[in-house]
Amino acid sequence: MNAVDGSDHYNKTSDEPPPSLLTIILDTNAHAWALLAPTLPLSAAIANLLVFINAHLAFNNSNKVAIIASHTQRAEFLYPIPSEDDSRQANGSTHNGAQNGLDGDMNMTDGNEANYAATADDANHYRPFRHIQTTLLSAMSKLYKTTSPESLTPTTSIAGALTLALTYINKQSIAFSTTTSSKTNADPLLAPSDPNSIQPATLNPRILILSVSGDLAHQYIPIMNTIFACQRLTIPIDICKIAGDSVFLQQASDATHGTYIALTHPRGLLQYLMLGFLPDQSSRKYLVPPTAVGVDFRAACFCHRKVVDVGFVCSICLSIFCSPPEGAVCLTCGTYLQLGEYGGKPAVVAKRKKKRKKGADE
Amino acid sequence: MAESDDEYVQDISDEDIEAHQVTRGAGAGSRVTGQGSRGAGWEVTRTWENVVEGADGTISSTVEGLLEAGKRKRLLKDTTPLQRGIIRHLLLVLDLSNAMSDKDLRPTRYLLTLRYTINFITEFFEQNPISQLGIIGTRDGLALTISSLSGNPNDHISNIQKLHEQEPKGQPSLQNALDMARAALFHAPTHTTREVLILFGSLLSSDPGDIHATISALVSSHITVTIIGLAAQVAICLTLATRTNPSLPPSQTYNVALNEIHYRDLLMRATTPPTTPHSTTERSGVESSLLMMGFPSRIVDPSPTLCACHSRPTRGGYLCSRCSSKVCSLPTQCPACGLTLILSTHLARSYHHLFPLRNWREVTWARANESGQKVCFGCQAPFPERPASLRRQSTSGAQNHVRMSLATPRSQPHPPKAVHTSTASKDGVSESGRYECENCGRFFCIDCDVFAHEVVHNCPGCQSREGILTSGTGKGVGQTEVVVEEMTGETAS
Repeated sequence: MNAVDGSDHYNKTSDEPPPSLLTIILDTNAHAWALLAPTLPLSAAIANLLVFINAHLAFNNSNKVAIIASHTQRAEFLYPIPSEDDSRQANGSTHNGAQNGLDGDMNMTDGNEANYAATADDANHYRPFRHIQTTLLSAMSKLYKTTSPESLTPTTSIAGALTLALTYINKQSIAFSTTTSSKTNADPLLAPSDPNSIQPATLNPRILILSVSGDLAHQYIPIMNTIFACQRLTIPIDICKIAGDSVFLQQASDATHGTYIALTHPRGLLQYLMLGFLPDQSSRKYLVPPTAVGVDFRAACFCHRKVVDVGFVCSICLSIFCSPPEGAVCLTCGTYLQLGEYGGKPAVVAKRKKKRKKGADE
Repeated sequence: MAESDDEYVQDISDEDIEAHQVTRGAGAGSRVTGQGSRGAGWEVTRTWENVVEGADGTISSTVEGLLEAGKRKRLLKDTTPLQRGIIRHLLLVLDLSNAMSDKDLRPTRYLLTLRYTINFITEFFEQNPISQLGIIGTRDGLALTISSLSGNPNDHISNIQKLHEQEPKGQPSLQNALDMARAALFHAPTHTTREVLILFGSLLSSDPGDIHATISALVSSHITVTIIGLAAQVAICLTLATRTNPSLPPSQTYNVALNEIHYRDLLMRATTPPTTPHSTTERSGVESSLLMMGFPSRIVDPSPTLCACHSRPTRGGYLCSRCSSKVCSLPTQCPACGLTLILSTHLARSYHHLFPLRNWREVTWARANESGQKVCFGCQAPFPERPASLRRQSTSGAQNHVRMSLATPRSQPHPPKAVHTSTASKDGVSESGRYECENCGRFFCIDCDVFAHEVVHNCPGCQSREGILTSGTGKGVGQTEVVVEEMTGETAS
């Protein structure tokens, strides 16, 4: 009957695939990009990335994208940027949107990284694409302008960027689910202590990290926290490892069932992006994703930030140490630890223990 | 300090339940009185009085405020870093007796218990990845092992699912179940906790001998018993809970579920690792020790090889970091050299218990104006503008802009009591919709506040501000202190 009067036409709205939110974390460590400059300069990488973003947006009209810079010392949104973005300076002065747009235009004509693409032929440029392009480019140049030379360290604040990405995804998912169905709003109140009551995001979020630098051991705990949050929310973390090597990003993609690709030819970044990272969660079920074969599950010790494969773990706080701490007192929680636990097994280990003790005393 | 703070958490969750519990509020009045934060017990249920028309004649602002209060209330937990027993041995005792077929909890106590138990198992291993869980049932005056002590959640879940085919019958026997639990926990190492959690639906226990002797034996072997009752308080359960947990108030160890949600809350509370009292060394023989553990890497062989644990040919596996024998799954002990092998991700999952994120404080309009942050730092959502009606009163708001939230533990020059009675905020809700991290001074919206504290356990601002990385580069042992300070919320040097 309904088929006859055609009313089911109005009920069928949820057939289309859910939009996916792609959050890109771009490692903007200037050191690493400078090293890469002969094969893949940053400008070329961004050009490739923009093509990739456009492809993602073209997939589905309601697809969304967010780009976060994981800079040497801080993490910052590159897109979307609120029109009155002065939270960093915290000086309370209010700029308006026009100012920001003007800023972008100026940078475009200045051409820091911007002169390779998008000159003035905007009439032939799909507007959302252009919007992202201008915003991203102006944000990038602003980011590098505000970077002081002394803050250039070889690290990158990937933990902050991941946390920002997660809070953004969370907010977008909430916004999405409230627009689609208003009743889900009450759910977290009904089941307060249920961690699963976080809505299974109908928005299809995923995180892509373009990583160029290694050495993240300083942020071990925050990174792990974000990994578990992703795992809980079933957000895959895809890693596009352009250069360097990092143990924890491998673990991140493995724990969240993301894709890990270490580029052998950085020059072909666009192809890697398009073939490896473009499919979203729902379409990956039908594809064979490229996965890392072996995963390095080593941990970082708390005392020297070394990556270890055999460690000593405090039974109280689970801190990992690369060797028994001095005086057998845990550096994190201050508990006196008995060292006898592992000495009791084979005689070989007992001898080893004496040696280590001597080493610790010196 | 640790214990009183812990009790405070308990109060919050109880009150939360009372808010849902309209009809039985008077009956449960004894719980509510003495908490004192909201007046007498019967007043708690008069929720309609909280709804006040806003300036525009609607109640939408109040409703939003209440929603935010509900979100926020769960958050104001104690964030003091505590010693917790993270490596746990827990035996779950399920009552499978006649009494479980009652339908006062929907659909029946039995089915609800099974369903919640499955959730409990998942959540337990989420929170305590290197802990062991075992399940014991009691029916027909007997205790039976449903699932033996192990660290694999899937085994437990499949064993619980088998129970769906059976019916609850007979009488339970607490003594038999406790004796069996004691035997199972006998081999638990001293650095772990030994816990028994009983879900008890009956009002009686049919025992073969003197249960008090069993309780004494439990006390002497340092086993703690917590009980969730489903019907009413039973004297022997109370005795059992108080005697095996001498340092904890009975309200934390023996509770009767009022309804399904309360039942679930009580059960899920047991997934959080228990705090270890500070006088831990003499108490209960819990000794801390340094464990040697291996963090093996996963390998995939081109051709199948035998694993050391089952002697089955497998391609994937983990190589022991000491002797390179191959095991199929983690966590486990290396069959060849006895090294404990574990995924570092298992360990890291517990770190947020150890380094909790501090509560963020509410931001008054005066403070919000002063700082000029217009969007939430986490999600870029714009903050609400200051309503015009409030602009006049800015002077009165200015004096309490340093108001702190409830449980900020140290380095508080301002007395929290006096501060909290101010009119600008109630129930920890920020009047300006902003919440400030004291460390990095960034403002966040309520959604990010809840999300950061409940799920990520990171502060987006602190993780992405200047200087967090420089303090730690290339230093030696002293650097750990820096990290610890970061995590516990002191400002880094």
